[in-house]
Amino acid sequence: MVGLRRLIAGSAGTLLVGLFAGFVLASAVGVFIQDSGLFGASGESPIARAYMLGLLQRDPNSIVGIRPNQSIAQRAAELQNADSSRTTASIQPLSLTYIGGASVGIYSVHIYAVGLRTAQGVDQFFPLALTVYGGKVQRSE
Amino acid sequence: MNETKAVATLALFAVGILGGVVAHTFLDRGPAENPYPALPKVDEPRAAHDVVAAVGSDDAQALSRMLDSTMLTDLDTALQPIVDVRTTKFVGAVESEGRLLSAYVVTGKTTEGIDFVVGFVLRVSNDQVVGVN
Repeated sequence: MVGLRRLIAGSAGTLLVGLFAGFVLASAVGVFIQDSGLFGASGESPIARAYMLGLLQRDPNSIVGIRPNQSIAQRAAELQNADSSRTTASIQPLSLTYIGGASVGIYSVHIYAVGLRTAQGVDQFFPLALTVYGGKVQRSE
Repeated sequence: MNETKAVATLALFAVGILGGVVAHTFLDRGPAENPYPALPKVDEPRAAHDVVAAVGSDDAQALSRMLDSTMLTDLDTALQPIVDVRTTKFVGAVESEGRLLSAYVVTGKTTEGIDFVVGFVLRVSNDQVVGVN
């Protein structure tokens, strides 16, 4: 009975270690493929894309978890701005293009081109470079 | 008996690895769908290439002839916190109605000697660099 229990525990442990190793391996290979652009991968980070979509859709709540922590007053002001811009339909996104990016260690940079039409009907075309690390967009300029 | 046990352990480990890879495939969904149109990429503009070549070769003399003081200040801001540029890489360029954005990634060291990466974009119009972001 004890032998069987040890066998099951040992087998489960081996399986768990294998699962963990496989997950980490797949993750590392995925990052390498994304960064190198192999197999048609763009290298675009899901975090950077989610941040850009939240920005263009003026939805601060959707990006709260992927950017640096802000004070409650900053978050409230941002929600206010988002509400007013949504109701007045002040800007209309025209295009969102991922230009490219690269990684060094834990830091990665992702550059986008954004096309917008303002409330006055003026088309704007500008870039945005996002620095991502620790699972968050730490810098946007 | 020992050989059988070793083979069984290895097989179990291999099954675990396979399971981990499968689990990763399901959990890592990649970037969300882009609901907006994306612009086609274009070749690197010559003027932007020359500016970045000067940055990469640490040629302040050449850079001073290519960019005005406002753009030099903007470039300095864009490169922060890197003070020692090691590599420059063109990552892509896009164009919209004659306005061209040429994007670069620069790696280098900060004043504390930490490896860092920054991205910046040169605005090009009429074959001239007209802005730095």
